[in-house]
Formats: sequence, C-alpha cells, structure tokens
Amino acid sequence: MAFNLKKRNAAEIPQSSMGDIAFLLLLFFMVSTVFVQEKKFWVERDRWPVAESIERIPRNHTSTIYVMRDETILIDDVPTRIESAEDVFVSTTLIRKKTDDPDLIVCFRTDRDTKYGVMSDVMRQLQDANTLVVAFETQQRKN
Amino acid sequence: MKIGRKRKGKTEIPTASTADIAFLLIIFFMATTKFDVKEGIKIVLPQATEKQEGQVQSLTLTEKEMTRLQIMANGQIVVNKEASRVIENNDLDTLIQQKVKINPDMIFKVITDREAKYNEMVRVVDRLKAAKIEKISLSTN
Repeated sequence: MAFNLKKRNAAEIPQSSMGDIAFLLLLFFMVSTVFVQEKKFWVERDRWPVAESIERIPRNHTSTIYVMRDETILIDDVPTRIESAEDVFVSTTLIRKKTDDPDLIVCFRTDRDTKYGVMSDVMRQLQDANTLVVAFETQQRKN
Repeated sequence: MKIGRKRKGKTEIPTASTADIAFLLIIFFMATTKFDVKEGIKIVLPQATEKQEGQVQSLTLTEKEMTRLQIMANGQIVVNKEASRVIENNDLDTLIQQKVKINPDMIFKVITDREAKYNEMVRVVDRLKAAKIEKISLSTN
C-alpha cells in the first residue's frame, strides 16, 4: 500500500516587509536626532574644569548658562553681563523658566579661567529666582 | 505582411536591495549620532534670605563644627586661620579626611575670592564631593 506522503513546502521567513521596517527605523532616527547648533558664544569642552566625582544630569530639566572668560554670560542665546545690581536679566529669565519647569536644573558651562566673582553674581541671581539646583559641567578626570 | 511586434516585458523597479540601503543608512545615523550627555558636579544652593531688621539669625560655629577653606586670588588656600599655601589634590584629600575624623558632620565653607579662578573652586568642591561631604557652603568675599 502506498502511503500518501504530503509534500512539504520549503520554510521561508517572509522578508517583503523588511524594507518598510528598516525605513521606519530610519525615520525614527532622523526625527529623534537633535542637532546642536553652534552658537556664537561657546565654551569648548576642553576649557571646562576637570573633576572626578561627577554625576549625570537629566537633560530634560536642564537649562545651560555659558560663562565666558571675558565675563560674558549667555542665557537663552542672549549674551548679557552683570555689572551692577540692576542687571537682572539672568534672574528674570530664570523666573520664567522656573515657572515653566519647577524641576529646573541650571547647568554652568564655564571657562575654567573665569574669575569666580561673575559666577558668584550669577548664583546670587539664581537664588533670587529660587532656582537652587545647579550643576557645574566638568570633564571627567582621566587617571 | 504581418508586422512582428515585439512583446514588451513588464517594467519594474528592482526593490530587492531597498532594505540593505535602509539598514546602511540606519548604521550611518547610529554611528554618527553624538549624544550630548550632561555631566558635572551638582549642588543645591541655599534659599535667598531677605535681610529684615530683627529677623537676622547669627550662628557661631567653632572649628570643630566648621572648616573654612578660603581660596585666594593666586590659587593658594587658607585653612581656618592657618597661613595660605598651595594645596595639591592629595594633600587636600588628607586634610578633608583629618577634619572628618574630628567631626563626621563637619561643615566645609568654601570662600572663594572674586578674583580667583572658577577652576580652583570646582577643584576644592570636587575633592569634598569625592570624600562624600554633604554639607558644603559656597561663598565669596
């Protein structure tokens, strides 16, 4: 008696949607990539202080203040200086930012050779704006 | 006479390599994307106090409770009432450990001269943070 053997089809993984999946991934990367625009005022990473006990700062609640060696302060892409008690641009900007995000962390990207006086003035304005959590961005010390 | 017409084949754009191209593009994006990670020394500033007459509180702390680290304009450091000197990181670590041994709840007050470099303040705060010191006060003169 002849057995009726079933003919097996060759098992294949369907690959027709591979291109669509790949393009979806590509679109995700293209949409989620944020290009940091080069600013007119900038403190290069190699000009930051070097430290050992550094911690990661969550990006989503941060606002960066750049402080140049010539004591120019850059906040929200607007350069400013603190020369007298009436120069309250930093505190007024931060009050607005703090209202938008109560968990705001202010990050300092400061040239390591900047005089501490200007940093002290900025921190005083931070206190006035009740923005109390600050981070000094540093490079990791290489052992 | 019968004119022999050529049979036209169905025109198709070959899409077999589309996935390969897309994956190559993904690899390119993954390799070139640079994440701007924020890292640094995090501190919490004290709240601003408004000076009102009769409401100003003064607190006198002894050397057993608080250590003053005064950073001078030239980078030298004055520890409490000692003479100013250059203190390297290793010596600073030893000094902090000695102070913590005297009082584990020691408060460190870092007083930085307005003319001193920001780098010096960060260096001192970094050493304090490395020694797991929680009570750090920043001020200027």
